[in-house]
Amino acid sequence: MSLKERKPLLYLDGVSVSFDGFKAINNLSMVIEKGEMRAIIGPNGAGKTTMMDIITGKTRPDEGSVFFEGDTDLTKHDEAAIANLGIGRKFQKPTVFESHTVMDNLVLSMKGKRGVFSALFHQEDAQERNSIADILEIIRLEHRKDALAADLSHGQKQWLEIGMLLAQDPKLLLVDEPVAGMTDAETVETAKLLREISRNHSVIVVEHDMSFIRDLDVKVTCLAEGAVLSEGSLAHVAADPKVIESYLGR
Amino acid sequence: MRQLRKLAVAVLLSFLAAVASTGHGKASDTSLEATISALASAKLKDRGNHIEALAATGDAQVVPFLEALAAGDVYFKKSDKTVFITRKAEGGLQLLDPLSLEEGEVVGSRSLKKVKVNNKLRRLVRGAVAGLTVQSHDAGTRLEAANALYKSQDLEALPLLKAAVAAETDETVKDAQERAIAAITLKNVKASEAERLEALGKFKAQGDQEALALVSSFLPQAKTAAESEAAALAIQSIEKSLAMWDAVENVWYGLSLGSVLLLAAIGLAITFGVMGVINMAHGEMVMLGAYTTFVVQEVIRKSFPGFFEFSLLFALPLAFLVAGGVGLAMERGIIRFLYGRPLETLLATWGVSLILQQAVRTIFGPTNKEVGNPDWMSGAFEIGGLALTANRLWILVFALVVFVVLLMVLKRTHFGLQMRAVTQNRRMAASMGIRTPWVDARTFALGSGIAGMAGVALSQISNVSPNLGQTYIIDSFMVVVFGGVGNLWGTLVGAMTLGVANKFLEPYAGAVLAKILVLVFIILFIQKKPRGLFALKGRAVDL
Amino acid sequence: MISRYLFQALDKRAFWVAVALMVFAVLVPLLNLVVPDGHPLHVPDYLVGLLGKYLCYAMLALALDLVWGYCGILSLGHGAFFALGGYAMGMYLMRQIGDRGVYANPVLPDFMVFLNWEKLPWFWYGFDQFWFAMVMVVVVPAVLAFVLGWLAFRSRVTGVYLSIITQAMTYALLLAFFRNDMGFGGNNGLTDFKDILGFSLQSSGTRAVLFALSALALAGTLVLCSLIVRSKLGKVMIAVRDAESRTRFLGYRVEHVKLFAFVLSAMIAGLAGALYVPQVGIINPGEFAPANSIDVVIWTAVGGRGTLIGPIIGAFLVSGGKSYFTAAFPDLWLFALGGLFVIVTLFMPKGVIGLLGQLKGLASKMPRKNADKPLPAKPEAAE
Repeated sequence: MSLKERKPLLYLDGVSVSFDGFKAINNLSMVIEKGEMRAIIGPNGAGKTTMMDIITGKTRPDEGSVFFEGDTDLTKHDEAAIANLGIGRKFQKPTVFESHTVMDNLVLSMKGKRGVFSALFHQEDAQERNSIADILEIIRLEHRKDALAADLSHGQKQWLEIGMLLAQDPKLLLVDEPVAGMTDAETVETAKLLREISRNHSVIVVEHDMSFIRDLDVKVTCLAEGAVLSEGSLAHVAADPKVIESYLGR
Repeated sequence: MRQLRKLAVAVLLSFLAAVASTGHGKASDTSLEATISALASAKLKDRGNHIEALAATGDAQVVPFLEALAAGDVYFKKSDKTVFITRKAEGGLQLLDPLSLEEGEVVGSRSLKKVKVNNKLRRLVRGAVAGLTVQSHDAGTRLEAANALYKSQDLEALPLLKAAVAAETDETVKDAQERAIAAITLKNVKASEAERLEALGKFKAQGDQEALALVSSFLPQAKTAAESEAAALAIQSIEKSLAMWDAVENVWYGLSLGSVLLLAAIGLAITFGVMGVINMAHGEMVMLGAYTTFVVQEVIRKSFPGFFEFSLLFALPLAFLVAGGVGLAMERGIIRFLYGRPLETLLATWGVSLILQQAVRTIFGPTNKEVGNPDWMSGAFEIGGLALTANRLWILVFALVVFVVLLMVLKRTHFGLQMRAVTQNRRMAASMGIRTPWVDARTFALGSGIAGMAGVALSQISNVSPNLGQTYIIDSFMVVVFGGVGNLWGTLVGAMTLGVANKFLEPYAGAVLAKILVLVFIILFIQKKPRGLFALKGRAVDL
Repeated sequence: MISRYLFQALDKRAFWVAVALMVFAVLVPLLNLVVPDGHPLHVPDYLVGLLGKYLCYAMLALALDLVWGYCGILSLGHGAFFALGGYAMGMYLMRQIGDRGVYANPVLPDFMVFLNWEKLPWFWYGFDQFWFAMVMVVVVPAVLAFVLGWLAFRSRVTGVYLSIITQAMTYALLLAFFRNDMGFGGNNGLTDFKDILGFSLQSSGTRAVLFALSALALAGTLVLCSLIVRSKLGKVMIAVRDAESRTRFLGYRVEHVKLFAFVLSAMIAGLAGALYVPQVGIINPGEFAPANSIDVVIWTAVGGRGTLIGPIIGAFLVSGGKSYFTAAFPDLWLFALGGLFVIVTLFMPKGVIGLLGQLKGLASKMPRKNADKPLPAKPEAAE
């Protein structure tokens, strides 16, 4: 049975992209199963962020295809369409809507119709209020729900963005460096939160923080120069001489 | 040189003598006078014969009389029928002897009667005059005569012309005479086939609109198959060459317009393209340059009139300093507070443009100012079927020079290196010890200064008024956006493409519609390639 | 009942401004028509006309605020939509002249007779019907906005590029309408109107009604815009303004949101133009001049963008200033206007409304030093 017929959640098949002759992604193939959480590590410039850009439709690959749930080729869709298919993304630099309140940030992210007119005639109902209250509790921002997002601390913004992902309720979450700039305590909490989320969602986490990866305790893929260098458990990858050579160092 | 001329004169004189002895014979003054008085007393329809008789004498002495006749200045006294050329004078008309041109008395117009001529006679007179002057000593007169015969195609003049062409030494005059002969030959029913074919060949080579008209009118009168075939071929060839020159002319006008656009846009390519600053007052920098030229010329006119030829050379550096200085003040005073906020920059600089316009209007007045062209900037010359005006040519050269110099400054100088470093990575450049604020200020001043120099050039071809900048600002933005932001080559190609496109559209659509079409095209083009013709690619651009 | 709903749904300030406009709509015509000439409360005819003109400007500024203040689209071509609406109205008024023109042609307007045109061009058909003209007043600007917006937003032309495109658009239209061949009166435009729906445009009664309609239309559009910006769609618009690509990753079709705002804004601008033309009695290609559109931007900026009522205040302040200056010190007006552009962008990024807020902040917390500092740079379309 071929990979495509087995319908994994995400299947990158021979993806390449180059910018001005520089190959950012070089014949990259990868499979993410339903319900899986995957950690991606790799040196700077390994193509981690570019890979996310390709999955979410921001960048079109020169070659190769990206299949979502078996038969949807993501390279044929744009960002909004891909988001509506059920792929959510958290950016490296926290990007929340600064002139909206925490509450409004979540309202905007709530799963639902995205059309212009459904937004125009949207009425908040009890169910939506409840889900938002739940999310606020999970991301621990109940006390700041009416604050402007611009006034949040860096860590709080990271959490708000994770909260926005939860509100979106996607099938696959792409999380880019969620603990950058967080305190150790916050990092541990975030790992806990992601594990929690991964129970009902598939997740791809890109991170540099090895202790955080260890806390996640999931399958790890190491990228280098736009291709998969090594894949397996953290212990396996960390012991791989190629990984030591190009990333971890001796 | 002088010897050569002496020789030419001698040859001509001997030739004239030959003509006089062999040809019609030089008529004595008395017989000339007799013909003239006969002409005056003859009826209108008979006057033609007398004119021909005068022309047949081949005596150039009658030329002033014939010219005066055509101009309606010939009168005779009612009392004794003596004929005079007249000139307007106080108290009536000044009488002149028709041959010696000696001044006589002034008489009232009542005592005189005009010798009337009609258009048919006038044509006859012109042909006669041309025939008589075709061998004049003066090359200019000869040329005029040949051209006049080319137009009138007077059969009578053919022998004279043929004689003249054999003796002609001046190439230009000779060419004109040959053309005239060819034109007359086509009209001449008695001409041989060979002669006509030769004439057709002459016009085919000439290849202009006039030749086309002559050959086309000859075509139905062709007598032999060879003639009509040659004529048809000539028409085809002329039309082809005309179309070719038409295209060349369009390209030239397009490049000329393109060079103007390039000049207007090149400063903007620095401030907008390299720095990302939307300077809506850019057009006013151009205007300041033009007004600097005006002031420089005023000063020179008043104090050093001898230096007028060099006024533009003085104006160039001054315009650079004036516009650059204003640009520097703008950057330091306003724009530096608005980096990273392009829309606000746009508004603030628009405000500055209004202030500059009003300031100039207050100082110099709202009307157009006269900026003179030095001699080397005026005049025109021809290459084939193409007329090039000197000012357009100089502006094209100047635009390219500015472009190349700017390219060199950016690529080869330390300042250029700093500038590129700052635009690529401001923070990194700052940490390398580059004083980024000063690089910004100097870059902006450079862009503005170049706009000022553009103003000097544009003052030569457009009206210098407070609105000068407004005419160019939208076009300049179009050029930079079309060419691709941050790319000087893009600006060059963009300017030339838009210039040429505009001029090729004009014959079909008219000037205004052509401009509208180009604007619409750019609007659509930006949708397709939002970053212009020569876009920078890569990840960095998306950030 | 409805007013209570509106009071809740609307921004409080917008509600009161709308109420004030409605009072204005009744009061000014009354003071003009009923209070006798010479009475201190009498509003003279010229003032009614002037204020009516400002109301139309305010509506145009409001339209711009919807796209610029809330969607981050700085249109430098809103004057074009205004002018198109004005031309649609002008065409109706031209047809109403009928055979009372100089050439007394019952069908063709004077300028067409002058150009030796034989018959009415097809695009003038229907404009003898008031309802048709009124539909065109909003449809023509909407179609232009839709086509331009659809092309531009789909290819993600943003920021200054979009501004330059919109400027090029209005410039192209300016050139086009100057041409006699276009069939819109060329240089002179459309003028010498006689009456509207049978009421003479010269009578002060008609002018008072036009004034009242302008005030009511402004109040209505203010309410409409306020409802929109306070809906979830309004939040999406602000999200697009502040972080366009982030909004996209949430699954919103940014181009649709922008297109909606742009088209609606163009329609409001067209309506404003249509109300403007019968009050000033002329529409000519000058209305397409790029400088006019930039003036609208300064009204919006002076009042405070992204506030809806700010632009209304700004339009009145700046146009009022212009009327005063051009009469009293004609040479100084452009200096003042130019200075205003510089000062507002440098020191009053939130306009008069923001300034009032800052003053309030100052009054309540005197020692706080930060309040009068320019606000931090807004991240311009985060990409």
